[in-house]
Amino acid sequence: MKDRAFYLEKIFSPKNVVLLTLGLFYALFLVFPVGVALVGSFHNWNPLRGTFDFAGLDHYTRLFRSPLFWQSLFNTLYFSVVVIAARLVLGLGIAYMLFSKMTKARGFFRAAIYMPVVTPLVAVSFVWLWLYNPQFGLFNQILGTRHNWLFDRNTALPAVMAMTIWKDYGYAVVLFLAGLYNLPKECYEAAHIDGASAPRIFWHITLPLLKPMTLFIFVTSLISYLQAYLQILILTNGGPGTSTYLSSFLIFDEAFVKYKFGYASAISFVMFFLIALLTSVSFKITYFGGSRD
Amino acid sequence: MKKAALWMTLLVLVFTGCSGGSSSGKNLSEDTTAQKNLPVLGENVKFDPNILINDGKPIEVEFWIWDAEEIFQEIIDGFEEIYPNVSIKLVKQPWQDYWTKLPLALQNGSGPALFAIHNSQHENLINYLEPYDIDVEDLKADFTGVEGHVIDGKVHYIDYGMMTGSIFYNKDLWQDAGLTEADIPETWDEFTSVARKLTKTDGKGYITQAGFNYNQDVKSIIMGLNYQKGQMMFGEDQRTINMDNPITVENMQFLIDLYEKHEVGSKDFGINDSESFGQGQSAMVYKWGWFYNALVNDYPDINFGVFAMPAPSGQVPFAYDRYNGESTMGISATNSSADKELAQAFIRYFMSNDQAMKDLCLLYSVFPAKKSLVENDEVKNHPVMKTLAPCVDRLIWPGPFPGIIETQMQQTFEEIIYNGADINAAVRAGNESIMEDMKGSEFVSTERRYKYINEL
Amino acid sequence: MIKKRIQSLLLHLILIFLVVLTITPFVWMLLSSFKTNAEINAIQSSFLPREFTFSNYSSVQSRFNFLRYFFNSLLVTLSVTALVAYTSTLTGYVLEKNRFRGRNAVFTLVLATMMIPWFVTIIPKYSIMLKLGWLNMYSALIVPAALSGFGIFMMKQALASLPNEMLEAGRMDGASEWYILHRIVFPMSRNAIASIVIFQFLWSWEDYLWPFLVINSESKQVLAVGLRLFSGRYSTDYGGLFAAAAISILPVILIYSLFQKQFIDGLAASSVKG
Repeated sequence: MKDRAFYLEKIFSPKNVVLLTLGLFYALFLVFPVGVALVGSFHNWNPLRGTFDFAGLDHYTRLFRSPLFWQSLFNTLYFSVVVIAARLVLGLGIAYMLFSKMTKARGFFRAAIYMPVVTPLVAVSFVWLWLYNPQFGLFNQILGTRHNWLFDRNTALPAVMAMTIWKDYGYAVVLFLAGLYNLPKECYEAAHIDGASAPRIFWHITLPLLKPMTLFIFVTSLISYLQAYLQILILTNGGPGTSTYLSSFLIFDEAFVKYKFGYASAISFVMFFLIALLTSVSFKITYFGGSRD
Repeated sequence: MKKAALWMTLLVLVFTGCSGGSSSGKNLSEDTTAQKNLPVLGENVKFDPNILINDGKPIEVEFWIWDAEEIFQEIIDGFEEIYPNVSIKLVKQPWQDYWTKLPLALQNGSGPALFAIHNSQHENLINYLEPYDIDVEDLKADFTGVEGHVIDGKVHYIDYGMMTGSIFYNKDLWQDAGLTEADIPETWDEFTSVARKLTKTDGKGYITQAGFNYNQDVKSIIMGLNYQKGQMMFGEDQRTINMDNPITVENMQFLIDLYEKHEVGSKDFGINDSESFGQGQSAMVYKWGWFYNALVNDYPDINFGVFAMPAPSGQVPFAYDRYNGESTMGISATNSSADKELAQAFIRYFMSNDQAMKDLCLLYSVFPAKKSLVENDEVKNHPVMKTLAPCVDRLIWPGPFPGIIETQMQQTFEEIIYNGADINAAVRAGNESIMEDMKGSEFVSTERRYKYINEL
Repeated sequence: MIKKRIQSLLLHLILIFLVVLTITPFVWMLLSSFKTNAEINAIQSSFLPREFTFSNYSSVQSRFNFLRYFFNSLLVTLSVTALVAYTSTLTGYVLEKNRFRGRNAVFTLVLATMMIPWFVTIIPKYSIMLKLGWLNMYSALIVPAALSGFGIFMMKQALASLPNEMLEAGRMDGASEWYILHRIVFPMSRNAIASIVIFQFLWSWEDYLWPFLVINSESKQVLAVGLRLFSGRYSTDYGGLFAAAAISILPVILIYSLFQKQFIDGLAASSVKG
């Protein structure tokens, strides 16, 4: 009996359970779907009409010729770069302020800043939709204008970005704060003894030490913003015209509004490739390029 | 141990959640009497209540709609009263989500057995539609416009009526501006001058009340205006979209002039025209029949009237506007045969039931396709129908064109109005996009079957 | 001394300004949830409600099955969060503390999953749900979310700082791997688990597209999707929407304040060690 229990334990060890679960889970929800999507991207695939006809590279050539694809790709990059930059700068700056020994009521500030992060995006988007209203919205009342923020090509995407920054900067604050608490104290003490000034300490000690955390925030932000679509769906629905189309919104539109699953899959793969490329490049730059302090 | 207990509770919760299907809460009992001695309904399309459904055994199905739950619930209540073993559960999905969700749900056999249809989605749905189990000749005897829906001697849905657009105006604002019934415009020039009188601005020059607001419905107005000037929507082959033409450009310019030259409204005032009218901030909007009931329900304080689309000149135009058929519901082809049997009986009940038909037509201000209702007083005296009756003869039906045409057109017009795109270039690009999206579509327009087509 | 004072004052002013900026939309939403729709949509509107009404709150339930959505969201979110916390710790532990061939490859695969955007897999995933007959079931919302690449990554990082001697001591005493996992690893990584709980709770709570696609019946729909019902075809019930939104953020704020301390400490321990 003891033998049996022993073998059972061997077989159902955490390692085996984990490997089995991972294998099954990823096969079902990852490898298979990715495979289907890849094959589908070479077909005229409309599940509603029951069509799945080979189309070769048609979708890929079409998308590279499509102005809308390029426009939404440009929008996506523009959106991501600005929002990520703001998130990093605001996040680090405010985290540094909260980290300062001079600051009182840190718990309060931390909680207030984190509030938008923990509010569902759907709710937030609806509130901002109305804050931007030309007649009834708060922004115009404060500014004394009647600007139609979301229906002006020049302000629509920035308006969506402003909301996204507002919603998400607290995430970076909290992460940077965690990173700051985690810094080795010895470095600081040594620096203080050397009589280094505060800005010098920040630029030459704190910042390099926070590099891994910065990379972490950068990569997770990159991955999530390259996939953003919900705020577009609610705030602008891609408009006015097509000026706020993001790539993932375009995919949603092609797949679930026009039912062109094949074409949508092709765009998905291009985006997937781009995300993988950008992620590995940012790892490379951080760790192998430039100076490694 | 406490943790383990928490886990177990959670798991139990999850699994009971999974298996505990949704029941409507209605107690279903076996139906044992086939012969209920109830009268058979209908003239040609008949509904015989004295036949058991599902052999009298309890059965539950879903019926999907995007709107009008009160009326459909009434029809269902009447039907369920006959059959104690039947439960039909209404599921409402908002319009903007309905067309994403319905085709997906129909792919597996447990979707709705019955569902509301809009003919702009014909091609996405047709594979999932079960033909009506009703003789086409009987249908033709009771309804007009059946021919257009016959496929291989069967229909999958027909029209219960036709809907069209008109101008809704706010009577209180009208009076405040010193206007009377006599000022109801018949030409677009008259319309423009009325709209100017209905517009108010504040000290800073911002509009506080728009005379006319078309912010969400440019596409529909342009389609109507094009027909007024004899510009067809599709080419000679009746398949190729023809939006890229001088008339579209001219009409687009007219709409822009209304805002920019005549200043009777603004793209930045009342971004949602329906809501703005409901809030009493826009005096006139162009809307289709459904808007009547929406106003009555959502904005009961608004005192409004309706008038027909003005024409380019004092004479009768080639056409006033376009119309579209409002479809009867579809039966899911993927559901079980018991579900289908129930759905077929329900369709017969609906089609042979004048009261239900009439309620639905009144709700959406729809001219009934059912012959027995055409002369009905309630229908004839409905404010929208009364106003539009003289023009009905001069409405064009383009056919059930795919919804992407409207979506793309609206996008094109937004490019022009909000993004300042060149009209000619934008219209050309829009036309190309539609052609791209229509590849593989089998749609053939019916606009050239128009009665006065020879006047072109 | 004076210089320090001014610095401190300036610092607090900036922070207060940021906090005001951050919470104004919430205050505005909350105040507006007590306004009538007519007042919300008036051209001349004020910050405070002119006539105070609770009707938005009282009608949230009657006009729209709020409690049901709320319960569904809670059920799904709690289940997913609990599962993810468990599977992440388990997997993180195996990948960090067990040595076996191909371990790095497995970890790389896990990392790679984080990079696969939702839109690549969503279409086939939908058809899998269809095949499994899981459409319109809670399981469609829970099972595919049970493993999180992000969670595994975080836990693996956090467990790197767990001293191996403690595990060895356990093994010496003849404890099984499972015993060690449940009795040593779990309690020791409380903080890291808390940060995963907070992230995961939020992500599940606000997840929109997947429940929108796979759930059809109102009785199983979640709140994030339900909130959109306030926006009808021709009128948006902003008063009701704000009331519902105000209620819907409560649980997340509650979870956050409960776990706030562990959250920060957990992030500090787990996040990134280069």
